[in-house]
Amino acid sequence: MYSTPSTAPIAAAGPMQRRVDPYADNGGTAVAIAGEDYAIIAADTRQSDGYLINSRYAPKAFQLSDSSVVACCGFYGDATALASHLSQRMEQYQYAHDKPMSTPALAQMLSNTLYGKRFFPYYVHNILAGVDADGKGCIFNYDPVGSFERYRWQAAGSGVALIQPFLDNQVGFKNMAQEANPPFLPLEKALQLVKDAFTSATERDIYTGDQVEIFVITKNGVEKLSYDLKKD
Amino acid sequence: MSIMAYNGASIVAMKGKGCVAIAADRRFGSQQLTISTDFQKVFAINDRLMYGMAGLGTDVQTLSERFRMKTNLYKLREERDIEPKTFAHLVSSTLYEKRFGPYFIEPIVAGLDKNGEPFICSADLIGCLNFAKDFCVAGTASQNLYGMCETVWREDLEPEELFEATSQALLNAVDRDCLSGWGAVVHIITADRIITRTLKGRMD
Repeated sequence: MYSTPSTAPIAAAGPMQRRVDPYADNGGTAVAIAGEDYAIIAADTRQSDGYLINSRYAPKAFQLSDSSVVACCGFYGDATALASHLSQRMEQYQYAHDKPMSTPALAQMLSNTLYGKRFFPYYVHNILAGVDADGKGCIFNYDPVGSFERYRWQAAGSGVALIQPFLDNQVGFKNMAQEANPPFLPLEKALQLVKDAFTSATERDIYTGDQVEIFVITKNGVEKLSYDLKKD
Repeated sequence: MSIMAYNGASIVAMKGKGCVAIAADRRFGSQQLTISTDFQKVFAINDRLMYGMAGLGTDVQTLSERFRMKTNLYKLREERDIEPKTFAHLVSSTLYEKRFGPYFIEPIVAGLDKNGEPFICSADLIGCLNFAKDFCVAGTASQNLYGMCETVWREDLEPEELFEATSQALLNAVDRDCLSGWGAVVHIITADRIITRTLKGRMD
């Protein structure tokens, strides 16, 4: 257990510097796949600190509008703060421009928001998913200080090493015959791959598990699906 | 940087139906510099037993020679081939002898026992054995390999299917690892013979 600090004065201890670590790694994994007319983004709901599980249901994927969902993996405090900040900025955009913020616009704003804290970063690895102006699925992957790029498939979080090669192989057809011109996947197949990715990551990554929330974004809106994962 | 990640390597072994597969990448580097693209990491003891080692290259070479000596002496004394499980324990004790100054390697053993039963086993650098029933992974891309194997492996894969599964698991895993890659060697051990194929993947 924790040791109780002694309250007796220590003779001649000298100057001491106390430090607080502002960050924590709360674990968790996110996966996103973009299709011809849809985007899927999923994140597990386990929140942990080392070997301790703080919560079995602490969602990491936040729906910001009818066309955009952002998943934030890393420090949960910054994840919720960032999602809240983005949501407020989107509301302001709606009032200023009399239209909802599109996913590509949100993508740029998220990058600028993250770089705004370049010298005290949001300790999160973000993935943003939505549909672009042409109705095609789009996902954007970020580093903690705002470097971003559009992808067709991407994983993030503690299970990224386990899932990313699987996505390269099954979505991008890497090291297979269709590698040169990978076709877009149908929605059902992509959904199955996302579920398989999470069940596999749950097996080998202790920070991933409990439940996964999968958001399917199309031009008609956002649908949320929930599946249980192993709780060990 | 970790001593286990200095040269870069990735090894994977999988169990199939009456067969086993063991595969490794071919890169040998000095941190970010690639020195050789045909470095051997998987060695055969006889036509039914092979083992691979990930980790520090000099220890891979030294131990391969030590194991060759030990298994040759075993065969001379016992007048029979060493069983995979016995060899795995030999690897374990050889590594534990150096408990406080270890060899920096992660070995994987794969073979068929005298009854044709598939056997795979991995160990850590001081000899803790893991008798897996599905697959074993080692090296700088081990997390990537865990993710790939967990999804592509199924029970009772036939030799040709096992080759495809092992190849895809290794190739896609090392493509996300800077220190592994530059080709792959895949061995399939069946009751009759060992089939060895060299794959060309991303050469970077």
